[in-house]
This record gives sequence, C-alpha cells and structure tokens, in this order.
Amino acid sequence: MVMHTEVRTKQRRSFNILDTVRLVILTIGAVAMLFPLLWMVTIALKGNNDVFKIPPEWFPKELHWSNFVTGTKEINFWQTFGNSLFIAITCTIGQIVSSVLVGYGLARLSFPGRKLWFSMFVGSLMLPGFVGMIPLFNLYTHLGWYDTWLPIIVPAFFGNATFSFLYVQYLKTISVSFDEAAKIDGASDLYVLIKVLVPMTMPVIMTMVIFSFQGAWNQYLEPLIYIIDPSKWTLALAMASYKGTYATAWNLFMAADLIYILPMLLLFFFGQKYFMQGLGSINSASLK
Amino acid sequence: MTVNNKKLRGWAKGYLFILPSIIGFSVFVAYPLLSSIYYSLTEWSGYDTPRFVGFDNFKYMFTEDPAFWPSVRATLYFVFLSVPLSLILGLLLAMLLNKSLPGIKWFRTIYYLPTVVPSIASLTLWLFIYQPQYGLANSLLRLLGLPEGTWLTSETTALPSIVLIGLWQVGSGIIIFLSGLQSVPQELYEAAEVDGAVRWRMALHITIPMITPILFLQLILGIIGAFQAFNQVQVLTGGGPNFSTSLLNFKIYSDAFNGRMFGYSIAEVWILFVIIMIFTAVTYRYSNRFVYYESDNAR
Repeated sequence: MVMHTEVRTKQRRSFNILDTVRLVILTIGAVAMLFPLLWMVTIALKGNNDVFKIPPEWFPKELHWSNFVTGTKEINFWQTFGNSLFIAITCTIGQIVSSVLVGYGLARLSFPGRKLWFSMFVGSLMLPGFVGMIPLFNLYTHLGWYDTWLPIIVPAFFGNATFSFLYVQYLKTISVSFDEAAKIDGASDLYVLIKVLVPMTMPVIMTMVIFSFQGAWNQYLEPLIYIIDPSKWTLALAMASYKGTYATAWNLFMAADLIYILPMLLLFFFGQKYFMQGLGSINSASLK
Repeated sequence: MTVNNKKLRGWAKGYLFILPSIIGFSVFVAYPLLSSIYYSLTEWSGYDTPRFVGFDNFKYMFTEDPAFWPSVRATLYFVFLSVPLSLILGLLLAMLLNKSLPGIKWFRTIYYLPTVVPSIASLTLWLFIYQPQYGLANSLLRLLGLPEGTWLTSETTALPSIVLIGLWQVGSGIIIFLSGLQSVPQELYEAAEVDGAVRWRMALHITIPMITPILFLQLILGIIGAFQAFNQVQVLTGGGPNFSTSLLNFKIYSDAFNGRMFGYSIAEVWILFVIIMIFTAVTYRYSNRFVYYESDNAR
C-alpha cells in the first residue's frame, strides 16, 4: 500500500516535468515553422536596398507598405489572380457536383457492376497522375484546347475519385430510412439527394469544397503544360516566372507572394474545423 | 430469367448517376493508360505521327541516355530520405501534440500553417531562404557563428535541402496521425496504467501498434507521392547541379516538353510506374507483419 502511493506521487511529479519538456520542444518547433513566414513578411516590408544588407536587419526600420502595390504591378498580378480565382471556383463546383452525384449513385442505388466501378474508381487513385500526361496532352491539342483553360476545367466535371469515395463513406453513416420516407411521398432520387441528403452531409461537402479549392489554387503542372499566353496564366505560373524575371527585387516579390498566399490563409482560418475534420475523415474512411 | 422494365429503369438510373465518373475514368484514366503502352514503343515528337520502333526507347534509356541512371539514383535517394523522415517527424510531433495542455490548439494551428501555403509560393520563398549571400539560412548560420551551407548549389546538399522543405510542410501528416491517436481507446491506457506500465512502454506497445494501419496508409501514399515530386525541381534547381536533383518525374516532363521526345518520355513513365508498383507491392507484403487490424482480434 505504502509503496503504491509512493509510485503515484513520483509519477505525478514526473508528468509535470514531462509536460514542461513537451512544451519546450513544441515551442522550438513552432518557432521553426513560423520563422520562414515571418521572414517573408519582413522582406516584403523592406525598402529596395535594405534587402541586401549584411548582417540583415531582422526587423525593417521603415515599413514600405507600398511594396504591396508596386509588387503586384511588376507582373500581370491582378489579372492572373482573377484567372486563378475563376479556375478554382469552376473546378470546385465541377468536382463537388459530379462527386456528390457519383457518390449517391454508388452508395444508395443498386445496379449490376456497382462494386466493380467503385473499385475501379478507388483503384485509379493509386495510379500516378503523370501516366496520363502525354496522351492527354495529345488529345487536348487535337481538340483545339491547347492554350485554353479547358484541359484544366473540363476534367473537374467528371468526378473526383477521392471525393466520391469520401462521400460514399459519409453517406453510409446516414440511415436509408431518410431516403425511404421521402420516396414514399413520391420524391425522385435527385430530390432526395438535393433536399434531404445534401443538407445532412454539409460537413463533408465543406471539407470537399476546401480541399478542392486548395488543389485548384495550387496546381502548377497542368497550367505549365497547357497555358502559354501570359494573359491566361494562373497565379502559380505567374509567381514561378516572376522569380526568374525580377529575381533581385525580393521585397516586391515577397509582397506579391504574400497576396498569392492570402486566400489560402483566409480559407484556413475560416474553415479550420473542416481542414482538421477533413484530414481525419479522409484518414478513417480509407481504413474502412 | 426475365428482367422487368422497372428493374431495368432502376439500373439505368444508377448508371446515370455515376456517368460522370465512368466518362472521367474512361477518358482520363483508361484511354491514356492503354494508349501509352503503344506510344512507349514509338518515336514521336508530338507534332508528327508516332513511328513504331520496338524496344529502342528502352534500349536507349538503359544503355545510352547519360541522364537516366543519375535520375533513378536521385529519385530513389529522394524517396528513401523524404518518406521515412516525414513519417517519423509527423508521428513524433503528433504524439507531442496529443495532450490537452494550455495553448495546444495554437500549436496545432502553427504546425499546420506551412501546409496551407501554396506549393509555388513556398518553393519560391525557400529559393530565397537558400540564397547563399542574403538568404535566411546562411544569415542564421552566420549569426550563430557557424560555417555557411551550400544548400541548393552543391551536388551533396541540393537534394537534402529539397527534402527539408517537405519536412517544413509535414502538417497534414501530423493532423492525420493526431486523429488516429485520438481514436485509440482510452481504456487501453487505463488498463496499462493499472498494470504499472511506464509511459514509453505504453507508446511502444499500445500507441504504435494501434495506429499501424494509418502509418501503413501514410507510408504507401507517401511513397507514391514522393516518386511524383516535380514542382520542387522545376522551381528550385532545374535538375542540377550535375543531375543530383533530376528526379524522374522532372526528367519525364523535360524530355517531353523541352526535348520533344514524347515517345521516349512515355517509355520513361512506364519505367517509373513499374518502380512505383514494385515499391508498393513490397511495402504491402512486408506490412502484413506489423500492421495491426482491430478486427483480427475478433477471430
């Protein structure tokens, strides 16, 4: 009995030490994570000559907010910003609508070949994306889609295997009795999906929206291959080429780069819950 | 067996709903996959019609192309370095973050933040960080009185420097592991505590085994993803110095779109594809030994 209590107190004390160690390590890590971004912000606010001082000023003496204006003038920033926004929104709508329809079909309707298609869609996730790159390039070129946004936008409307899969898994957690109740009242499948199930599956749809938008905003390889005309560029292309052309104007570049990041930061801070939930559910869904 | 009309209509409805994915799968997956088998055996610039050349592309690749084997080497080095490091770091940080302490939510947000930064924005940022004279990396080293690093400019450090950027963006791995850790039944720890188990033993014998399925999935996805790395090379190094960062996916891209060797680059795609399949298959095979599935218990 005595020994037991001894062990207990010892354990409690060591827990506190462990917590402290834990917090110290986490703080060091957090500083390392934030440092590059903070450095980026300070560079973006520096004057043209202050960037090249050795040793560097860790905090700029004068804050040049005008860099955010000048930096975006150096390239066709706002036009490409608009292009990226349009592409990202269109791709998101396409992926969500098609994936929800497909997910409903796979989860709620029965027809021969359902399981086969399901496993083919999921299996295609394992295929490396670049396998299709060149034959598809050839196909799009023949369709006259070269140097247009179509090769980027159109495929989004034909289902996304990850999202369909997520939606199927989520629908499985919702009882079929909701569908049946509506169907007894004479509702069609589309009505059941839109009016009954979509409102109930909003959390997973929000997750899909966020990841879809993020993916479209970030993509680089497809625009790089297909879009030549700088007035049709996306921001990813513009920023990658900006780095080559104006390599010396670091402050202006960083200012523009920060504006490129901004929509993602906003998305993250307002949708943080869905990011976290989403990663968790992608995770648990794929283990089922 | 007769199939009545109503049933048939039901089937048609099912196919109507999944039609987008059927078209998508046929056009964007099956067609390129199958046609590329033929294209890999042709000489084709992308402008002309493909000319059948048998296995010449593969012969050239294995025996003559001076950039092929260095690229394979760089790719394997990259995969072996980046995949285990990001798994281990992600898991360790997740275990540290899996405790309700003051401010822990802030820590989780901070660790996830770098993954929110778009790939091109973060790569261009790191290009400046690694800049030898004015970059953050060497400025910090000088501040600490340490010798400067060569980062992207030397054959030996270029690839590890690229891996380091990936470790900065380990956040989604952390969150995935964290959600796995939180689903480990609390009773297991309580039971172990009653038995007087020490903390590190709990980690070793409860936590790790319980999340092996997640570990395994992340390993497979990590391998597939690492073999496809492209943006880093395109933005940071262009494959150099001396092919040390010429990852296969980058070589495939540049052979196709800079070198205008479509047929040859499709042949390379197939080799990379085969390498990925071998890696995935081996991982599957060996994972059976250590992956613990809860349902196994019920047998």
